[in-house]
Amino acid sequence: MSATAGARRRTALARFWREYRRNRAGVTGGVILVVAVLLAVLTPLITDPAGLDVTRATGAKMAGPSLEFPLGTDESGRSVLLMVLWGSRVSLLIGFMSALLSMVIGTMTGIAAGHFRGWFGAVLMRITDWFLVLPQLVLALVLGAILGGGVSTIILAIGVTSWATTARLIRAQTLAVEARPYIERSKALGAGHWHIMTRHVLPNVAPLVLANTTLSVASAIVAESTLAFLGAGSGEVSWGGLLRGSYDWGAATSGAWWYILAPGLCIVAVVMAFTLCGRALEAVLNPRLRGVPR
Amino acid sequence: MIRGCVRLAALSLALLMAGIAAPALAVQEPAAGKKIVRMGVTQAVDSMNPFLAVRIVSSSIHRWTYGYLTVPDSKTLQPSADLAESWTTSDDGLTWTFKIRDAKWSDGKPVTAQDAEYTFNTVMKVDAAKQANGPAVENFESVTATDERTLVIKAKKPQASMLENPIPIVPKHVWEAAGDIGANENVVMPIVGSGPYTVIEYKKDAYAKLKANPTYWRGKPKIDELHVIFYQNPEAAIAGLKKGDIDWIGRLQAPQFESMAGDPAIVQWNTPGRRAAYLQINHGAETIDDKPVGDGHPALRDAKVRQALHHAIDKKALVDQVQSGLAVPADGSIVPPMYSDFFWQAEGEDLVAFDPAKANEILDDAGYKKGADGVRTMPDGKRKLELRFSIHTEEPVEDKLAQFLTGWFKDIGITLTTRKLDSSKFTEETGFTGLFDIAISGWSVNPDPEEVLSTHLCSRRPTAAGEGGGTESFYCDDEFEKLYQEQLAELDRGERAEIIKQMQRRLYTDAPVIALYYPNNLELYRKDRITSITPIPENKGILYGGSGYWPVYTVDAVAAPAAGAAAAGGSIVPGVIGAVVAIVVVGAAGVLIARRRKSNADERE
Repeated sequence: MSATAGARRRTALARFWREYRRNRAGVTGGVILVVAVLLAVLTPLITDPAGLDVTRATGAKMAGPSLEFPLGTDESGRSVLLMVLWGSRVSLLIGFMSALLSMVIGTMTGIAAGHFRGWFGAVLMRITDWFLVLPQLVLALVLGAILGGGVSTIILAIGVTSWATTARLIRAQTLAVEARPYIERSKALGAGHWHIMTRHVLPNVAPLVLANTTLSVASAIVAESTLAFLGAGSGEVSWGGLLRGSYDWGAATSGAWWYILAPGLCIVAVVMAFTLCGRALEAVLNPRLRGVPR
Repeated sequence: MIRGCVRLAALSLALLMAGIAAPALAVQEPAAGKKIVRMGVTQAVDSMNPFLAVRIVSSSIHRWTYGYLTVPDSKTLQPSADLAESWTTSDDGLTWTFKIRDAKWSDGKPVTAQDAEYTFNTVMKVDAAKQANGPAVENFESVTATDERTLVIKAKKPQASMLENPIPIVPKHVWEAAGDIGANENVVMPIVGSGPYTVIEYKKDAYAKLKANPTYWRGKPKIDELHVIFYQNPEAAIAGLKKGDIDWIGRLQAPQFESMAGDPAIVQWNTPGRRAAYLQINHGAETIDDKPVGDGHPALRDAKVRQALHHAIDKKALVDQVQSGLAVPADGSIVPPMYSDFFWQAEGEDLVAFDPAKANEILDDAGYKKGADGVRTMPDGKRKLELRFSIHTEEPVEDKLAQFLTGWFKDIGITLTTRKLDSSKFTEETGFTGLFDIAISGWSVNPDPEEVLSTHLCSRRPTAAGEGGGTESFYCDDEFEKLYQEQLAELDRGERAEIIKQMQRRLYTDAPVIALYYPNNLELYRKDRITSITPIPENKGILYGGSGYWPVYTVDAVAAPAAGAAAAGGSIVPGVIGAVVAIVVVGAAGVLIARRRKSNADERE
């Protein structure tokens, strides 16, 4: 039994990989992501964090790209390349974790609201609607300000403000899944709420969750950069924080393009990569989009 | 018929818009041939009422429009005659007799000793009037005008700073008729005063217009009008200066000042400043009844730890990196070197130089041992030396300062984390509730340093309910208190300066505050507009925000050119807006008419 299930899963995975590989944009995004994550993970091994300490900076202020500083220096003479590398860790971490948080909240709320359709589901949906209409950025700013700086508080601030769309999406899918006859059959055989939600609904909405989460990592990274730029940063070097620094210290007026472009392009590249991957996943996992000739 | 109506409506609409735009134009249009200086400020006036105003912009306007008993001399900054033309002191130093000058209010009435009597008695008796300068009359027993020209002030105790009284003298005949002092916004134009200028127009958060006072006792200023124009932020003000909307802006930060380097039309005015920037250290905050308040780290109660922190700060690097070199590293305390009479410089044994090794040694000897992670713990091993540094949000300079302190403190085994607070929360936590370890602070010092010294007195600590206060350090030190009382009573200027220096030495060595640097006074003005201006003090002094009215009294400018060319000045923006509005209106009316025509044609068919 388990052997056949395993074999089935393997073939499904192989088919998924075959489909995904055919999506050129998805592969490009995936490659960019792998490179970015590898660099972020390897940064502590290949660089010295002492270079981030302003009191140990060796370069001139706002010096242009050179052999020693391939991406120039900032207002305190620190290497922009080093800061971009270390910043990627914080930006990616916050992006992943807050997307994960928003996925967990959104999925649980969505499935619960779709499964219990009485007053409980209605209340959940009204709460969702409330979060949907709240201006997300303002709410995250306020949360960040109240909870104080720090990576975990920023994750929390972004996570709890961005789950509402996921919840709506998952609820719709849950309704569709629960309308299928085998759910009724399983109910007749005595399946409880928990069993139906975890064994039948969750596996069926999982592909959607995956695609959605990939997309929301992208928006979470943008949200982190926006918050950091607006001053509600985590206090650590991040891409948004770098942009903020370049603005505060007049990089544009002094012509220090490297200071603005380096973190800016990193954000663009990673966000685009996540979006490409998310779209590709959607195309592969959604039977309606699958096999459409391109 | 319909067509005609529409056209008429459009025309009247356009006229209406033009009518709206016209007064806006009139506000900014400098009249031809007049000498007008337009000054940009980034601080809004808090109140035009001199009994209530505390901000620098407001008190500056009051300095220019009201007379005082004395004014700091333009060369030495020592008190010199203003409305009081001479004065004598009784032998016991308690009774001061001032002879009031024969001068006129801007409405033509004479200035009398009764006006001064009324002003001081109001501050002494009306609580609402104490807001701006209450402490200045705390030591007054009574103030009486014995005749039109003679004012007698009796003090409770001898007071050396009697001649530095910061209270503007207001006209009794106007203020008595105005009713409740606390509710009086003082915006009846023109505002009656006796200074070199008279306020003739004021719009909240927009501008104040001052006209030269022709009856001023020293003689009319060289220019005709002085406009004070408010900007939301320094960037906008700098852009205004570049375009020529304003002629002069003071009190700038280093980055904005530097951004105008090399502009041939602009004079970069860089002189010693009156401000000291320092760290405020929570050395065990207490309320006025000696009850502990707040959550300061216990290690900071140890003067040795404060000393070690002081050794770990490279003030020269801070000046270079954080202030772009436009400041003086502080080898002293809270009085900047600009006031050479009172400035105390640490030397020899006292001097705390940048020396991390020494700092580590002090901490090692005092029993603060380093753990495996390089962070020290208290001698009892219970708590790590992890400190918080409170700064303001949206202050890149303070942010950068925090990065440097974090780096240096790490080297001596102390972890520093930065907390960014908005300004009201910052004031509350660092001035009242004591919820901080180390905080950034600073003070703009007057020619007489008594005010800044008094911010470190026991009596300035807040009550448990968070009232009163004004403390800059929660400091309460017997030696400092004793010296403060001594300097109050010392009427010899030289002797008093020595005592004041000892007070600074105490602050420096005991380190409830650690001075970092004295930022330079950075200002910019257009040399094609302002032809001459005398700072205070005359040698390398301040233009805007200093004491007295000398710079605005002596400033001379180019007369505004005839009407057409005046557009180069402040009028261009409203002018353009007016034109755009007119074009849009006419265009919209045109579209309307065209549509109307078409629909008419359709109907006809």
